[in-house]
Amino acid sequence: MKQVTEGSQAVSEAVRLAKVQVIAAYPITPQTHIVEMISQSCANGALDARFICVESEHSAMAAIIGAASSGVRTFTASSSHGLAYMHELLHWSSGARLPIVMADVNRALGPGWNIWLDQTDSLSQRDTGWIQLYCEDSQDVLDTTLMAYRLAESVNLPVMVVLDAFFLSHTYEPIDIPDQKAVDTFLPPFSPRFQLDTANPAAFNQFVAPQAYMEMRYNIQLAMEQVPETYRLIAEEFEAVFSRGYQPVEALQCEDAEIIFVTAGTTVSTCRQAVDRLRHAGEKAGLLKLKMFRPFPIDSFRQVLNGKQKVAVVDRNCSFGASGIFAQELRAALYHAASPPKIYGYIAGLGGRDVTPQTIEAIYWQTKNDDNPGAESRWVGLDQQTVASWHN
Amino acid sequence: MTDDQPVQKAPPLFLPHSYASTEFNKTGSWRYVRPFYDEKTSPCSAACPLGEDIAHVEHLVSRNLMAEARQTILIENPFPAVCGRVCFHSCESACNRAQLDESIAIHHLERFVGDLLISNERIAPLEAFPANGKNVAIAGAGPAGLAAAYFLSLLGYRCEVYEAMAAPGGILRWGIPTYRLPQDVVEKEISRIKELGVTIHCRTPVTGEMLNTFKTRYDAAFIGCGYGRAINLRIDGAQKAVDGLALLYRMRADEDISLTGNAAIIGGGNTAVDVARSLVRLGIDPVIVYRRQRQDMPAFDPEVQMALNEGVKLMALLSPIRIEAAGSRSANRQPLFSITLQKMRVSDTEISGRSRVVPDGDRTETLQVNHVITAIGAEPQAPWQRMPAGDFPSLNLSHCKLIHDGMPIACGGDLTNRIKSVSDAIASGKQAAIALDTYFKSGWDAVKETVADCQVGTGPAVSLAIYLGQARRSRNHHIVSYSEINTPYFKTASRVIAPVLSPADRIQSFLPVESTLSEEAALAESRRCFNCGICNSCDTCRLYCPEMSVRVEDTHRDINLDYCKGCGLCVAECPRNAMALKEETI
Repeated sequence: MKQVTEGSQAVSEAVRLAKVQVIAAYPITPQTHIVEMISQSCANGALDARFICVESEHSAMAAIIGAASSGVRTFTASSSHGLAYMHELLHWSSGARLPIVMADVNRALGPGWNIWLDQTDSLSQRDTGWIQLYCEDSQDVLDTTLMAYRLAESVNLPVMVVLDAFFLSHTYEPIDIPDQKAVDTFLPPFSPRFQLDTANPAAFNQFVAPQAYMEMRYNIQLAMEQVPETYRLIAEEFEAVFSRGYQPVEALQCEDAEIIFVTAGTTVSTCRQAVDRLRHAGEKAGLLKLKMFRPFPIDSFRQVLNGKQKVAVVDRNCSFGASGIFAQELRAALYHAASPPKIYGYIAGLGGRDVTPQTIEAIYWQTKNDDNPGAESRWVGLDQQTVASWHN
Repeated sequence: MTDDQPVQKAPPLFLPHSYASTEFNKTGSWRYVRPFYDEKTSPCSAACPLGEDIAHVEHLVSRNLMAEARQTILIENPFPAVCGRVCFHSCESACNRAQLDESIAIHHLERFVGDLLISNERIAPLEAFPANGKNVAIAGAGPAGLAAAYFLSLLGYRCEVYEAMAAPGGILRWGIPTYRLPQDVVEKEISRIKELGVTIHCRTPVTGEMLNTFKTRYDAAFIGCGYGRAINLRIDGAQKAVDGLALLYRMRADEDISLTGNAAIIGGGNTAVDVARSLVRLGIDPVIVYRRQRQDMPAFDPEVQMALNEGVKLMALLSPIRIEAAGSRSANRQPLFSITLQKMRVSDTEISGRSRVVPDGDRTETLQVNHVITAIGAEPQAPWQRMPAGDFPSLNLSHCKLIHDGMPIACGGDLTNRIKSVSDAIASGKQAAIALDTYFKSGWDAVKETVADCQVGTGPAVSLAIYLGQARRSRNHHIVSYSEINTPYFKTASRVIAPVLSPADRIQSFLPVESTLSEEAALAESRRCFNCGICNSCDTCRLYCPEMSVRVEDTHRDINLDYCKGCGLCVAECPRNAMALKEETI
């Protein structure tokens, strides 16, 4: 049954349906609604779980690591500075191979103090060993969260479900909230491969010498390499139950496209609209929705983009001194492709600035009229007067 | 998930884990500071004239360990049911909890445990030491004398008490009105003392000559005759006034005092308030006339408040200078007196905080009443009861004076106490018992130091449990302050309110004003107690110890020093400052 739902609620409903057993979280705008609604579910009995109030995000992840080590299904959510504060324990949770699921609401980091959309918080965590899945709309959020548990528990790696601040977290739209029975069919109770057990005492994650550390890291890399295929199988099963499918990378009108947009989050929806309008105007535009960022689905990208002419990557983030991070990753992924396209990087919509269909169309024309992509990303929509004043 | 097609087979996990014990790693070798259980002194127990182990008693009550609570109180005080009713509970003023919300209702809890003792006949009295063959004569069966008899009996002495009145109890039996202290409560607590083998000779006032004959029959004596004689006004017409204390005695002796009309009570102490509140119950219209201000009255403030609620009037800053017959009798055929009152004004403040008053010029006013009653203090009945003076060794302690005149004689109660209260009187009996026992065991020179060793906190109260070397002796004398309590561990909760009669109902009879707490209310109230400085087995230390070094056996905790690395978490987390850290010595 369709229900008008806030993006944050899509997360909390998924947590309820996944029968998560332990939640520990610390509130931060724009994540707060998620944990508020979960704590409500815990309080009113809709979710039979322990909600642990903690004094920081660092403690939230620490508590979740403890809970997950005891073999229960866990959840937390954070954003921006909160996620940054968790950083140390993000490494720990993946190294400990704990199938934790977390929602991150993409928000800018300060200063200047800013609570709006920016992808830098989650992308700063790309090397922590967490799987990262980006969501386009509320339905995507709910479905991805459910799939995230299957994925995490299959490969014993934690999963971060990422959604845009406000554009998604605080926007209401009708979505299908599946019934519990269907979810139970898709997502059985968690059966841990290892757990703390007083009947069989063991020490976990203690000191490891150089003789074994590298193999442990290679073991994580192997698990990560398995993720795209594992995800595909899980997504197929999901589609069989719920009739909605999600690929790691979704290609839209790419077959004959001369310029293909690559982007993530709610910008994908904006791009869908822009691509439609450009197609109506006779332009050969296409779109690749980047859903899975870690592991980076190199094969999928090569499959779609090999032999194409131009790719325009819209990054709502920046790795200072390099370029937009999605563009950077894509360049690396396609370097060994037989016939790689030219890759144009664009940085747009930082700190909650709007990216409209017009912005996307402007990027299209700039890409079409320029044969030299350059090494860096181009900054879209800067206030030229301000920038010019710096050179006077 | 379909049965036949599990998702892809996961690679085997390669994770650091071990099933070997880590006990070989003696992390205790890292330690340079050592935590230890360091029980301290609660502010309530230090403020109690009797040094009762209040924080520990409240802990025992909260766990419904009533037999242990009883033992813990009775080792320090034979009169919990009495003190729970009449003590002015300085403990509650010192209570740290007052800084979080409200102080613990300590006197209600003491009364609850005291009444439980009275109502439960099966509870055996404390076990006394075997008789040591020594005999002690005690003059006065008031709270001081009875307490001396009680504590000396516990220590193995055979005690005989000589009492002038027809029944023992002194102020408890003859002075304090029954709406504050019912007679059966007094009798039952006294019977506990008799059960220890104490003989009480009533209607046998001790005289100076008798005291001399005691020296041949007894090994020691205790003089606790109290202040039996009222101090008279030294003004014209003073003989027209009636003594308030004598009036209370007559009421408690069930004499018909047949007063009607209105009465002026001169004074501001507890006797004045007791007289006024008694008279209001007999249909008389009382007014207390006091020379200073209300806040300067030596009477305990809650008593004054209750008196005012019951309709007692208070005229402050007035000092009588003359009492005259007003000529004719009033309409109710009672005599009529006219009191001339000098108006007073505050001149400055004494060191004690009371205001000093001086006559306000020659301004006077007159008050016409049917009865004038004085309650301006009392003094010893006979000259020999004053502090004996002479050429013999003497030792002044906080609650008694020890002299050696043919035999050791301890004087206590009102004769020596700065604060003339029931609890201080009992305290003096206890201190005298410890002093005499020390004298017989270790000699005169050891008395002062031994008594000081038994102090609770920084004194002056002394503890028999400490004297006897019970666990309490190992407590640190440091008094725990509010800032040393880990208040995040405590939720605010309202103080219990004991059932109390309305003023209108109260003045209909001499029935008790307040009721004893129900068990449920008492348990709830005891759980509010911080148990300052006392381990109440909350287990916070054990739960926080990262090395699982806190061992618990029964209720005893100790630290496994093989593994304690001295992080100090247990000490930092202890909610009630019952632990401390000390540097390791190499």
